[in-house]
Amino acid sequence: MRTILAALALFGTVAADDKKPSKPERFTYRVTGLFAPDREKVLRDAFAELTDFKLIAIDFDEAEVTIEFDPAKLFPGQKPERVVELVSDKVRTATNHTFAVKPRRTVPRDKLERVTIPAAGCDCKACNLAAYEAVANVEGVYQATASFKDGRVTALFDPTKTDRAKLEEALRKKGVDLGKPKP
Amino acid sequence: MTSFRALVVLFAVLALSATARAAPPTKFFESHCTACHDADTKKGGLDLTALPFDPTNPENVALWVKVHDRVAAGEMPPKNKPRPPAADTATALKAVHDDLVAAERKAAAADGKTRLRRLTRGEYENTVRDLFDLPGLPLQIDLPPDGQVHGFDRNADALDLSHVNLAKYLEAADRVLDVAIATRPNAPKPIKQRISLANPHGFVAHVLMHGDGVLLKDKKPDPDFPPAGAHEHLDQGAHERMGSFRNGATVGLFRPEDESFSPYFNEFVAIYPGRYRLTTSLWSFQWDKGKVRPSRGTEAARLSIVQLVGDGRGGGHPSTVLGYYDAPSIDEQKHVVVTWLNPRETIGFNAASLAHAHTRGKDRAMGFTGPAVACDYFDVEGPLHDTWPPLGHKRLFGALPIVKFDPKLYPGVRPPHRTPDRQQLFMGKNKPDPVEGIWTVSSEKPLEDANKLLANFLPRAFRRPVSDTVRRLYVDRVAERLKAGDCFEVAMRWAYRAALCSPDFLYHVEPAGELDDYALACRLSYLFWNSMPDDTLAALANGGKLRKPEALRAEVDRMLADPRSQRFVEDFLGQWLKLRLIAANDPDRKLYPEFNKYLQDSMLAETHAYFRELVDKNLTADYLVRSDFATLNGRLAAHYNLPPVSGTQVRRVQLPPGTPRGGFLAQAAVLKVTANGTTTSPVPRGAFVLDRFLGQPPSPPPPNVPAVEPDVRGAVTIREQLDKHRTNAACASCHTKMDPPGFALEEFDVIGGHRTRYRSLGTGDPAPRGNIDPFIGIGFKLGPKVDASGALPDGRKFAGFAEFQALLAADRDALATNLVKQFAVYGTGRGVSFADRDEVTAIVAAANKNGGGTRTLLYELVQSKLFRAR
Repeated sequence: MRTILAALALFGTVAADDKKPSKPERFTYRVTGLFAPDREKVLRDAFAELTDFKLIAIDFDEAEVTIEFDPAKLFPGQKPERVVELVSDKVRTATNHTFAVKPRRTVPRDKLERVTIPAAGCDCKACNLAAYEAVANVEGVYQATASFKDGRVTALFDPTKTDRAKLEEALRKKGVDLGKPKP
Repeated sequence: MTSFRALVVLFAVLALSATARAAPPTKFFESHCTACHDADTKKGGLDLTALPFDPTNPENVALWVKVHDRVAAGEMPPKNKPRPPAADTATALKAVHDDLVAAERKAAAADGKTRLRRLTRGEYENTVRDLFDLPGLPLQIDLPPDGQVHGFDRNADALDLSHVNLAKYLEAADRVLDVAIATRPNAPKPIKQRISLANPHGFVAHVLMHGDGVLLKDKKPDPDFPPAGAHEHLDQGAHERMGSFRNGATVGLFRPEDESFSPYFNEFVAIYPGRYRLTTSLWSFQWDKGKVRPSRGTEAARLSIVQLVGDGRGGGHPSTVLGYYDAPSIDEQKHVVVTWLNPRETIGFNAASLAHAHTRGKDRAMGFTGPAVACDYFDVEGPLHDTWPPLGHKRLFGALPIVKFDPKLYPGVRPPHRTPDRQQLFMGKNKPDPVEGIWTVSSEKPLEDANKLLANFLPRAFRRPVSDTVRRLYVDRVAERLKAGDCFEVAMRWAYRAALCSPDFLYHVEPAGELDDYALACRLSYLFWNSMPDDTLAALANGGKLRKPEALRAEVDRMLADPRSQRFVEDFLGQWLKLRLIAANDPDRKLYPEFNKYLQDSMLAETHAYFRELVDKNLTADYLVRSDFATLNGRLAAHYNLPPVSGTQVRRVQLPPGTPRGGFLAQAAVLKVTANGTTTSPVPRGAFVLDRFLGQPPSPPPPNVPAVEPDVRGAVTIREQLDKHRTNAACASCHTKMDPPGFALEEFDVIGGHRTRYRSLGTGDPAPRGNIDPFIGIGFKLGPKVDASGALPDGRKFAGFAEFQALLAADRDALATNLVKQFAVYGTGRGVSFADRDEVTAIVAAANKNGGGTRTLLYELVQSKLFRAR
């Protein structure tokens, strides 16, 4: 079902038929910024403020969010790929640019690898976000977490596009100390 | 030969205008002077046998005054020559005196002694500010600098007027009118904004990331932003997005401002000029590797007005200090200040009392123990308007209505040009409160209103009644512009701009001879306020009541009690004691590492407060050089090695017995402006004392005499260097007078610290830390011992500064006489001439009958003919 919705979002048009009243539809997007479970609440609070959208579900493990809205009403005449960008703009604005949405991944889960990298840093949410973004922004990474409290950064990635070394390099560039997990 | 000399002298005298000299002391000169000062010997370059008396030549007059003074002081004939009989000396001196006075009076009879003079930059700025109630409008910064004569910039000889001045006056007038004229029906809505010191554009967030400061909540480390320890915080942008710096946390800073770090509260940048209320909450603590503990005492934070113009990278924006504020240990203190801000201005912050601590060790903040200044918040509210339109607008347009300009109603009429209100700086979060359309003053009877408005404005601006004829000229100007299609506001601007650039505004208009009431009111207001008379003073002048001694005295008291008198304190001291040069050089950082801007500003505050104390408590002139109290804050008390004083505010402090302080000469500001930043020299300091305290400015050094170079290696003292210099007899004649005061002041270093040994960067012994902040590294050593002993020209000896102080203070009348002269130069805009000496003496004598206090000297000065005649 989610795949169908995403495919609709990606390839279909949502131009409203001028003659028929439009109605809300469900969309599932990949969400960035979910670097720790407690970020779910922040995202929920943000959608509570975004009254044009109804939050249906958050899938932390897949880093996905399902929402309901009326694209023809909110973004009349826009193509699905543009709709994603416009939704993301609203989410970013509402969350001070700490969350964003993207199209769902198309690579099957069983083709992905998960890696855990020991990392040390200041245990604050912003530092965790920084470490998270360092790996999440690497092409091929679809989900990631960061917790300096636990002393690790994890990433779910497509091994055909990236590897552990690239992720470690991204973390180092950000200033994260690697290989020193919290005892 | 003697007969021949006499003949020559006689010939020289007779060759002069018969009316110029009454009774030349020819015989006296022939008997006692021309043996050395004739054409053959010409000792000291003086040939009395060929010296005419030419009162039209200032240099000639100055030479005769010098002849008079050296004979009067007993310096001539020299000590090794026979002394002339006292009666002969008196007769000769009287003759020279009478000649000089008669010639001067004759010259002054026609035009007065004070030439026509324009307002100085400072006077101009203050006058405009007071005229339009725009107390922070910056104007003088854009005007050409004024010259200086007799140590002051108020002398007519220093105040020429060039086309550059005129162009700048035109620009300034436009700027003033732009700000003064209300361009909207209602005041812009005041904003209320709370800003964290860690606001993202204010540079502090960056140092918090690295551990040079911390965020606190409930006076404990903020759990949302733990102190940077073994790891620094990552990615400032991520922290900004996550709101780390916007969660209401207190900012604790471990480091002061420096070349690369200038904290600003620049989420607020003023859009509208006006008064703003600034509120901040400050406290201090001792940071101990993650713990907040009580601090070592009250720390200091500085707020400054920063002009965000041009390229201010590295803290290079121009700024003015708003004040230093107490940050007590643990318990926060709220500070509220109302100040004027101009567009593009914001507020800067500095943890002023902190030294540059090194927190960037391996463990950053978690490895650091040291003092910190905490800022809970900074609130800004404004612009604040009690009334609308503002007073400045009312002075221009009275109560005429401000209406929306409708081109349909006024076809062919040019509306005023308006610049849209906008926030000019991207970091400023405060937004404008624009109005729709063009709003301007409306008049149903333009020429009638113009006449009324100008009848009100011109006398106030020109500081005296204005004739109908003059006013008519301005009204005609308005009529011309209205005819040319300008709207009423624009037409009136032409007249106001012309008025602000007219001689009546730009010059001190004073009648020759005795001043009229208006000129007297102006002399008073420009003396005590550096600005125009206020309504009360103008009313007294209008009513002819100002000349009454009791009224004049009451006005002096009223004006000195007014906050505007601080301008007198700062401007007079800035010139008399050369405090304007306080920042002329930065002390060598290796020799004087404890010096910083907070110390320098404290120095100025001390001298200002001390002078204020002299005037307010009416203390006698000996207090100029010696006192049993000082005016100190915590920083200065530590600098002077005195018992601790808490806080930033300067207050009167009793000095312990035996303290080498008290009086202006022992104040760090005076000692700094008389030093060169690296080392001290008795010569400029001695010349300063002679000129500024005793009224005996030494002659300039002869050409081609090199300055004595300081030896910071510590091998040779300045006294040893000068001893070589003084072996030259020609040098010795002046240095005998100049060097002794300078020797006494050798007890003080370039930043006013007391010393018994010179600091050295070469050889020497290890220097004890003393009161120097433990976070300041010491790289200097202790070099040769200071010898502050000396002997005055009359032979009286002193072992050090304290004894010198006593010798100087003993001659109270000489100090008072000089102070009156300095006041007179400042107050009248001309030098005190030879003929004024009797008047000065009379002022001091009259003051002495009433205790001789500083305020009494001012009372007597303003009552004197010296002050009350041009």
